[in-house]
Amino acid sequence: MKKISKKEMNKFIQSLMADYTILAPVNIEGIFFFKPVADFQGIDGEYKNSKKPPKEVFFPQTETMFKYKDGKVESTEKVKGKRILLGVRPCDARANLLLDNVFAGEDYEDIYYTNKRENTIIIGLACNEPSSTCFCSSFGGGPFSKEGLDILLIDIKDSYLVDTVTDKGGKILTGEFKEATDKEVKLAEKIKNEAEKKIKSRIRIEGIKEKLDAMFDDPFWDELSERCIGCGICSYLCPTCHCFDIQDEAKNSQGRRVRNWDSCMFPLFTLQASGHNPRPTGKERMRQRIMHKFNYFVENYKEVACVGCGRCIINCPVNIDIRKVLKKILTI
Amino acid sequence: MQDVQKKIREEARNLLAARKVDLVIGFEKGTIPCRTSPVFVHKEDDVGKLVWNSFCEMNLATYLTKIDKNKKVAVVAKGCDSRSIVALLVEGQVKREKITVIGIPCQGMVDRRKIERKVEGEILEAEEENGKILVKGSSFEKVFKKEDYLYSSCRVCKHRNPSIYDILIGEKVKENTQVDEYADVIEYEKKSPDERWQYFEKEIGRCIRCYACRQACPTCYCEECFVDSSNPKWIDKGVDLSDLAIWHIIRAYHQAGRCVDCGSCERACPMQINLRFLTRKINKEVKDYFNFEAGLDPATPPPLATFSVEDRQDFIDSGEGVKETKL
Amino acid sequence: MKEKEPKILAFLCNWCSYAGADLAGVSRIQYPPNIRVVRVPCSSRVNPLFILKALQEGIDGVLVAGCHPGDCHYISGNYVARRKFAIIKSLLEYIGIEKDRVQFAWISAAEGARFAQVVKEVTEKVRRLGPAKKLVKSEES
Repeated sequence: MKKISKKEMNKFIQSLMADYTILAPVNIEGIFFFKPVADFQGIDGEYKNSKKPPKEVFFPQTETMFKYKDGKVESTEKVKGKRILLGVRPCDARANLLLDNVFAGEDYEDIYYTNKRENTIIIGLACNEPSSTCFCSSFGGGPFSKEGLDILLIDIKDSYLVDTVTDKGGKILTGEFKEATDKEVKLAEKIKNEAEKKIKSRIRIEGIKEKLDAMFDDPFWDELSERCIGCGICSYLCPTCHCFDIQDEAKNSQGRRVRNWDSCMFPLFTLQASGHNPRPTGKERMRQRIMHKFNYFVENYKEVACVGCGRCIINCPVNIDIRKVLKKILTI
Repeated sequence: MQDVQKKIREEARNLLAARKVDLVIGFEKGTIPCRTSPVFVHKEDDVGKLVWNSFCEMNLATYLTKIDKNKKVAVVAKGCDSRSIVALLVEGQVKREKITVIGIPCQGMVDRRKIERKVEGEILEAEEENGKILVKGSSFEKVFKKEDYLYSSCRVCKHRNPSIYDILIGEKVKENTQVDEYADVIEYEKKSPDERWQYFEKEIGRCIRCYACRQACPTCYCEECFVDSSNPKWIDKGVDLSDLAIWHIIRAYHQAGRCVDCGSCERACPMQINLRFLTRKINKEVKDYFNFEAGLDPATPPPLATFSVEDRQDFIDSGEGVKETKL
Repeated sequence: MKEKEPKILAFLCNWCSYAGADLAGVSRIQYPPNIRVVRVPCSSRVNPLFILKALQEGIDGVLVAGCHPGDCHYISGNYVARRKFAIIKSLLEYIGIEKDRVQFAWISAAEGARFAQVVKEVTEKVRRLGPAKKLVKSEES
């Protein structure tokens, strides 16, 4: 395994700026966002995870699909230049693979998404200190998981161990990289084991689909949806949620077609032109959200659409805890 | 606090047992430290879930417009929450005979984000006792004085005692009449227009259109919010700065004469946007020019649904020359 | 290079200010051609969203004109509107939109000359501010 000192890492990232746009976690008023950086000074020590998930790098919240003016159409699916996404946590990296099922699956390819995926190299950062709200291991992930990453960095205080996961990642590692010593590799192992132990939240997810199949009319949904205020925080901050709305913004002979994130928790989501809404109340919408993530997604893609990142738990204004919800479902 | 909690449970039990209400809306313990979660208690057996502490930050009045209005409901209400209930009564959104207000004189709610910023690492446990908040993490243990870590809305609150209640739990508290509640607005107005715009853009630029502010607000109950209107489509649905600006400007404007400054919008916002900075200006204008504060009197009509022949018009050119508007 | 002429949207209430504008026209009183008139039944028809949408679309200034208080064709429309306008004007200034971008006036049907005068003043004030930039929606997000 390679290693690089943090100081050298900064220089290395800086050198990559000639050919790549570097997207790294930036601290804005105490909240972290993935933003392009012009001067990389390392990853902030306070960084746990970004507020908005890195899905926005491939699937922006507001994205122009094409523009038109006076009869000429300009498609905008190609991202300008290559990018490096630095500091992604293993849970989010895994989430990207789940999104690939939808946007880059067998039946359909979303060129806006795939173009960005192809042109982005993902450098992950292992979680030495998982939060109490993390439960990635319940879904097959882990704080040092390499799924969905091109390179995994392991923080061993003054340096990073650099684990090359894919060739795409290996190609850019042309800097001051040394070989890690046995001692350093063992230290990383130790940190990994401790990190995995720190994840106290565990949910036995087996059988959730079958449980949900039998639960469509269960009064459980009334109770669960009572306190939900119907905002879109859980869906917007979820790294696997992917619903969107396409709108045309037009003015006379010019305009653009735009794709924006949408949330199934909003009443408008299934409101039909006739005025009929098949999901008229919060109950139907909450049920749908849980069913989609833990039943229908499993049916379509054999995977649960949750990576245990904990963002919905931390950010829900009424403290609806998905772990509590899942545990309740599994005991019904 | 424990006393109040006990009494809330008692009252809830009595109300449910006597079938005076179909349900009690209160708070229960959260699943993570420094949090509570709204709880809907339908059965007497569940009253033990109800808690009362300095993390009961949500305005429960918001549920009154979301539930079946034919149900008889009891709701736990702090000073600000009860003012929201009055605002809803004034607008005919709730039937007085259908709600039982369990009023609780409030000493303020703790801003957990302020505490989070003062510790190194994640808070794993939090306890409250005698006006102190004790937090523990894997490598720290710290005690904070509650009154130093209140939400900014609580620090300028002049109506801690409920303005409406059917049951009052605990002793009424002394109102903070000395606070200069709009000092921050006055301070802000000293900046130049460009500086003010810069701050405004910086704040609302973080918005992700999750509408948590709207959903948490008791007086945002429109069946179709203007942002969801497609005919006419007022603003687009994305995060373009111009749309974000208009969303927040108009939401604040729609709160004129209705906002009770409970702070729920700010508390719900995941991007920690300073939302009150807009509504507070609106509240100050309504107070200065229409002599009105929302939520105090169910009999006073809303200021924007009425008028006075003497209303200010110094900003309008009426042929006598426009007077310089006081900024 | 010739500066771009400011574009001003004027909401004129049908019974007073629009009639006043009409009188100015009939009397052949000259006033700057920068305004685009939208006739509304009453000044209270003007939703602050109209003003903001106009600014978003690139309009440089907005003028809302109604009947003098007490003269409203609908009795109290302009009284209620007065309160709305006070709030929205304060709020827009508070967040940093230039004071002169959004202006209000009471103009009666008999005030043709005054209408022209108001338009001249409004146009001048908006011209001095330059093109509106702050709320304009750019094509690039």
